[in-house]
Amino acid sequence: MASFFGWLRSNSEHYLLVAAHQKLARTLGSPPPRPPKGLKELFWLRVFAPVYALLPWPVRSRIMRAMPGSHRQTWAPPPRSRGPAV
Amino acid sequence: MIGGGAAGLGAAGGVKAADPGAEVIVYTEFEDVAYSPCGIPYVHGGEIPDFERLFLAGKQAYVDAGIDVRYETAVTAIDPAAHTVTVAGEGAVRYDSLVIATGWNYADPGVPGGDLSGLYYVKNIRKAMEWDKVISETKAAVVVEAGPLGLEMVTALAHRGVETHLIDPNPYALSMMADPDIMAPVEESWRELGVHLHFNTTLEEFLGDADGKVRAVRTSGGEITADLVVISTHKTPETALAKAAGLDLGSTGAIIVDERMKTSAPDVWAAGDVVEIPHGLTRTPLQGLTGSHAYAQGKTAGTNAGGGDRAYRAVYVPWGTPAGKWVIGGASFGEATATALGIPYVKGEAQGISRARYYPGVQPVKVKLLAEPGTLRLIGAQMIGGGEGIKERADFLAQAIRFGMTLHDLSTMENVYSPAIGALNEPIVVAATNGVAAAKAK
Repeated sequence: MASFFGWLRSNSEHYLLVAAHQKLARTLGSPPPRPPKGLKELFWLRVFAPVYALLPWPVRSRIMRAMPGSHRQTWAPPPRSRGPAV
Repeated sequence: MIGGGAAGLGAAGGVKAADPGAEVIVYTEFEDVAYSPCGIPYVHGGEIPDFERLFLAGKQAYVDAGIDVRYETAVTAIDPAAHTVTVAGEGAVRYDSLVIATGWNYADPGVPGGDLSGLYYVKNIRKAMEWDKVISETKAAVVVEAGPLGLEMVTALAHRGVETHLIDPNPYALSMMADPDIMAPVEESWRELGVHLHFNTTLEEFLGDADGKVRAVRTSGGEITADLVVISTHKTPETALAKAAGLDLGSTGAIIVDERMKTSAPDVWAAGDVVEIPHGLTRTPLQGLTGSHAYAQGKTAGTNAGGGDRAYRAVYVPWGTPAGKWVIGGASFGEATATALGIPYVKGEAQGISRARYYPGVQPVKVKLLAEPGTLRLIGAQMIGGGEGIKERADFLAQAIRFGMTLHDLSTMENVYSPAIGALNEPIVVAATNGVAAAKAK
């Protein structure tokens, strides 16, 4: 099961970053990535990335947190601001 | 401890701190421990005069500390149920507590020709000493992939006068963590040094000569002649032992641990690049952090393995490195990573200076801050400058993210002013002020 999530994570991480580079190339005028080649790249860039982008962040975050990993172990919550020191 | 890197030695020290009477054995497959592999590119580049300076402690220091380091000794298996490890030449060795700190390997480039000589994987200091002589005789080199080590090696080879080519499948350097506008000046400075940059270019094959030595690489953009190839693909966790022992691995492929660095096996801890640690903001696990992370995790694992109690925290990942004639750095998310994850942000940018504009040696500092819309809570930062202050700003901004500071907080923060070391207008303050204005304009 870990290897499936590993495969999913490695592909989604890579192609979401490529999709981000495409978007930044449009907004910042930076160099764009090369166009997708082959069915695999077309699927991840033309199907997966746009569908992922449509999901609201809380949903995406919930999916990521549901994956197996260290984040599901015991970790102290992030520190909270406690107001003025004096 | 299995492994003598930053995590393994941090763990050894952690055990001794928790229980000075504990018998501590560190197994390492290498000839040395306690050196800085991160310093290797700077010796190659000539900034550090010799490899000896990378050694942080001699072998006697560990004897004196009561830590038994067994050099060039391989651990071949772990049996968590029997509480034993199988050690080459020693057989089954019983442990009360075990810390796995086996580190990382370069990802396999996955192309034909990987068995040729002339392919350099920068890691071991003894090998680096040999490769340094090779670099002296190298006319042309290719660096495969522009990750953190790739950046350092490109700069090092260029400084050594080697005709250097960088190939990377992405559109710009360090694209997995940095933003294109931060990297553009770095790339320009490489070009000034004579480096040939081949982005959006995929490695297809290492080509060898009749003696089995690399002579060129074949890429999607054509063939590049080279008598040395530096492989700097991303770090993958070295989990073979842990996997064979049945320990739980996460989505990064690294060992799952909790905040005490405890694995799924009884009395087994793990630390360093072989584990994954959650990001403080998204809680998404990350693997392949820095030596400082590895050392701190090692201390945590060792303290707990020695009967103490210490917790590690989720990470906010301050980072930085020299690249070309610049120093770049940041903390948590940049625009590229935030966009990839689909995290909305507002942005504040400023082009400032490192000290008073009239003071000799003043350098540019560009700061870009990312904040959560609405609350303007800081979620990331990226910077580029002439050198001074980039690391300190990255450290500070990682803490600012960790403690939930906002652009409002940063735009009104106090800053050191003294002409020789600080500017009247701190670039972080100006960037935050611009970010607040940008958020209001939306």
